[in-house]
Amino acid sequence: MILEVSGIRKSFGKAEILRGIDFGMDRGEVLSIIGSSGSGKTTLLRCLNFLETPDAGRIAVNGETLFDAASPTRDSAKVLRRKRLHFGLVFQNFNLFPQYTAFENVTLANLLLAKDTDAYRQNKAAVIGGIEEEAHRLLKQMGLSDRENNYPHQLSGGQCQRVAIARALALKPDILCFDEPTSALDPELTGEVLKVIRELADQRMTMIIVTHEMAFARDVSSHVIFMDNGIICEQGTPDQVFGHPQEERTRQFLQSFIQ
Amino acid sequence: MTPEQWSIVFNALNVGFLQTLRLFFVTLIGAIPLGLLIMLARRSSFRPLSWLTQGLTWIIRGSPLMIQLLILYYGPGLAFDWHPWGGGEAGRFSAAATAFIINYAFYFAEIYRGGIASIPAGQEEAGLVLGMTRTQIFFKVKLLQMVKAILPPMSNEVITLVKDTSLSRIIALQEIIWAGQKFLKGSSGISASILPLLCTVVYYLIFNGLLTILLTRLEKQLSYFR
Ligand SMILES: Nc1ncnc2c1ncn2[C@@H]1O[C@H](COP(=O)(O)OP(=O)(O)OP(=O)(O)O)[C@@H](O)[C@H]1O
Ligand SMILES: [Mg+2]
Repeated sequence: MILEVSGIRKSFGKAEILRGIDFGMDRGEVLSIIGSSGSGKTTLLRCLNFLETPDAGRIAVNGETLFDAASPTRDSAKVLRRKRLHFGLVFQNFNLFPQYTAFENVTLANLLLAKDTDAYRQNKAAVIGGIEEEAHRLLKQMGLSDRENNYPHQLSGGQCQRVAIARALALKPDILCFDEPTSALDPELTGEVLKVIRELADQRMTMIIVTHEMAFARDVSSHVIFMDNGIICEQGTPDQVFGHPQEERTRQFLQSFIQ
Repeated sequence: MTPEQWSIVFNALNVGFLQTLRLFFVTLIGAIPLGLLIMLARRSSFRPLSWLTQGLTWIIRGSPLMIQLLILYYGPGLAFDWHPWGGGEAGRFSAAATAFIINYAFYFAEIYRGGIASIPAGQEEAGLVLGMTRTQIFFKVKLLQMVKAILPPMSNEVITLVKDTSLSRIIALQEIIWAGQKFLKGSSGISASILPLLCTVVYYLIFNGLLTILLTRLEKQLSYFR
């Protein structure tokens, strides 16, 4: 298994937002997480990306325990950064860096990371060349070759989100997480973003997608989780969860989308 | 007034304006970094330090700069028989510069704080998930956005500072208003005239005009992103 998550709990003050989350993923799987507002979907993604520290539970990638609340380690900043890079995160509102072009947004983190490496000290030009080549390739894959030198404010929301996806992919994460990647977009722009995510799924990229796009989730996922009030209420194949929901809460939730 | 008399007037005004400029630049050079320290103290997680800074901010911004000048210049001598400033114009300048630096640093600190607060948390989080260090995020991502955000309010303060320097007239610093005011009662064989004082306005206008051009250009430089 590429990812094992067990017993994740997280409270903010008195409110327990995650109340014990367990799931696993195989390489190349696409996991969709659905659920009503406030059910804890964003909080779960933030825990995986080390933006929040769970109060309890364990997270392991490729068999390596990255986080275990039962045996807390005081990771150095460097170790924490290395752990983080197993995951990528695409935000609802992109969070591109406004003072950098699309191309620079994609290369920035890699150029900074490369500076610590021996390869960079030995052959700087080759390392930089490799990073830039990869950025050109990714932006091309996102259909943005002609937008490389535009600043975020010169791009549409859909283009911004595709730059953000390229930026996350540039770091070669094992698992790429999306938090409602199309929720901030005008309806006519969601299609272009869903299309590139679908292409990534076809290339067997391991992904976790929090979304309210039910048709898309049903179509693209290999596995679906329905979260309700901080727990996994129901999970299974898209056909099981969307076609034959067992839980009353799941049925109610899906019903609200049909209307 | 004869041309010779005008030349006396302008010599006096030039000397005064030089003092105005010195006070202006010394204040900026001192207050810009001091404001950064005050902002850090204000944001400190050590509560007493943050409270102390908030209290001082309230006092410094809530009371007239003129009073602060008077207290700083005359206070130590009258209250403790302590004379830190020394005599003469140099002493007056030290006192005035100190008061201005402290006063403006507290204003700048609040502007910096607003600049930092204006950057969405998502910028830091995006940097973190991309494996950047907090230092890299500050220098490579947040700093320029901060500078852009604080430039308009800082420009306002800078223009205000040019005019505020004339407050140091209250401790008889020989800046340009002091120089022009001499001629109100007649001086150096010139009969009483309002004209020299009116001329000081031209100095202010020209200098502030140049500053405005410079600051606008700086803002334009940063207008390539939003
Ligand atoms: N930093 C925080 N401090 C306090 N409460 C928080 C914090 N972050 C999230 N919460 C609360 O946790 C709950 C779950 O939030 P979360 O964002 O995970 O939900 P979500 O499932 O992503 O919802 P949505 O579909 O609206 O995005 C909400 O009630 C929210 O107010
Ligand atoms: Mg959310």
